[in-house]
Amino acid sequence: MWDTFLIAWRQLSYQRMKLVVACAGVVVAVMLMLVQLGIREGALENSIAIAVKVQADLVVISPRTKTIFQSTQFPRRLLMRLAGHPSVDHVQEMYMSLARWRNPWEFREHPISVFGVDPRSPLIDFPGYSGLADELQLPDRLIFDRNNRVMYGPVREHLAAEGFLETEINHRRVRVIGAIPVGISIVSDGNLFLSPANFLRLFPQRNPGAIDLGLIRLKPGADRMTVLEELRPLLGAEARLLTRDQLVDSESRFVRESAPIDFIFGMGAVVGFFIGFVVVYQILYTEVTNHLPQFATMKAMGFSDRTLLSIVYYQGLLLSVLGYIPGFFLALWLYQVATKAIQMPFSMTWNRGIWVFLLTVVMCLLSATIALQRVRRVDPADVF
Amino acid sequence: MSSELLSNPTPAVGASSPGPVIAARDLSFAFGQGELRRQVLFDLNFEVRSGEIVLLTGPSGSGKTTLLTLIGGLRRVTEGELSVLGRPLHQATTADLTANRRDIGFIFQQHNLLEFLSARQNVELMFQLHPEVPPETVRQKAVEILTLVGLAERLDYHPSRLSGGQRQRVAIARALVTQPRLVLADEPTAALDSVTGRDVVDLLQYLARTNGCPILMVTHDNRVLDIADRILKMEDGRLQTVDR
Repeated sequence: MWDTFLIAWRQLSYQRMKLVVACAGVVVAVMLMLVQLGIREGALENSIAIAVKVQADLVVISPRTKTIFQSTQFPRRLLMRLAGHPSVDHVQEMYMSLARWRNPWEFREHPISVFGVDPRSPLIDFPGYSGLADELQLPDRLIFDRNNRVMYGPVREHLAAEGFLETEINHRRVRVIGAIPVGISIVSDGNLFLSPANFLRLFPQRNPGAIDLGLIRLKPGADRMTVLEELRPLLGAEARLLTRDQLVDSESRFVRESAPIDFIFGMGAVVGFFIGFVVVYQILYTEVTNHLPQFATMKAMGFSDRTLLSIVYYQGLLLSVLGYIPGFFLALWLYQVATKAIQMPFSMTWNRGIWVFLLTVVMCLLSATIALQRVRRVDPADVF
Repeated sequence: MSSELLSNPTPAVGASSPGPVIAARDLSFAFGQGELRRQVLFDLNFEVRSGEIVLLTGPSGSGKTTLLTLIGGLRRVTEGELSVLGRPLHQATTADLTANRRDIGFIFQQHNLLEFLSARQNVELMFQLHPEVPPETVRQKAVEILTLVGLAERLDYHPSRLSGGQRQRVAIARALVTQPRLVLADEPTAALDSVTGRDVVDLLQYLARTNGCPILMVTHDNRVLDIADRILKMEDGRLQTVDR
């Protein structure tokens, strides 16, 4: 086996330039697949980042809410009703809305997502949010998302230099006292975080009794599904009770169905696969055709078809490995470029890395299978 | 395909077995079918015995190479009987044919070395067909035989860096290194000048004599006829035996 592998390698590597070109084809395919799948997954993940950060056991939303980014309000008293259940530890309301942020450098206004949740013990994971709880209790103080797009102005730099920034939101004077990394997505260009009281100051027309998201923390040991069933009748038709995972699922379903990213980038990956397949097939076919006299000689000397076929398969495998490695690193680099350009984090996952590697191997072996039909038909008598 | 189903698997018989190395009885062969059928060999009857060097001569198109490919198991025998090294090739399976090839050393008109392997690797390659030989022996034997053909200095040269004569000598080393029980050579001097051609044939003769290995060599080259024990002359697919 090792001997056969060596033959395959020597035959493939004898002409260095051809080998490099062959690998380049695989590299392009690997890169295309990894980048397309990466952007697809990244865009989906970023879009549900807020839902994923929820740390409550159960959540309450309005039955009309399709996604928490375009939520409909429901009465807070329904949430308070649930607090009486013996398995419920405590409940927390969350307000969400779009506001108009004034870029204080350009004096232009841009829409921005605003999240109002108690900073003292939020049932949602905004890293560093509760650390500023005391100051956030003061009127008109809020926190900026470190990952917000640049159109909101050089807020981070300003905060680093001055410690705070004064600007207007919904024509109300506010003070930004810090920046935390939460993350934006294709559904939101920027985020702000503040206490519910300050939220209501920004939206004076809003009824404090109408909330967007109810967060429920259960007592330790309580079974989520059991409690969910017990609580549901208390809500009636005006609010919907979900587990945290159900919320994540429904958010990701919404993004998949409403935004075409899934299809577009999935399609890109498929195209990458076929480009790679055609390129590798062309290369292997040419290689095999060029080597036909050699294969005929080997057949005449008594090498079995199986040995010759494994030579071609080994060459397919070698191409996939040699093309995958540079393709992988090229994709890592492109993820960084994309992260910078789109200002959304894209990262490699083990899962995707392994999947694309397997696809690459399949692609190369499939090409080899077609190319080696010629080897099978080689007539050893032709060498005379 | 059908012959594979019909024939019985025949156990290989060892080289030491008495009897001819090659035995043909009423051997005929035709290319094509029906109207396109063109017969190239007619009722050949001959034998090659152990240790003999037999030359096969005749004008081009007389069927020499076809006969060689039949003996080598590169084509299937369709009419008559042909036994090589005790194997009845007229009833052989594909596996039998492959096994037959492994017992034979082939020397081609063009050297047919694998360009991506060095001289030594080309020779060592033959032992992949004989996995029972330990790797140290393989290396040792390859170096030995390349030294014997005068290429001790060129062991790690690729064919592209060898002259025509050197390539043909590597090809001879390759054909003989596994001590085949029969050598088939197809005009091994055709691509060489007269001096080099002479050298190559002398070398072939020397190696065959030392190993007691029979050689069947197709040649046009009148300059090398003297090495033969016997000359078979072919014309229009028929054999005219000429004894020296």
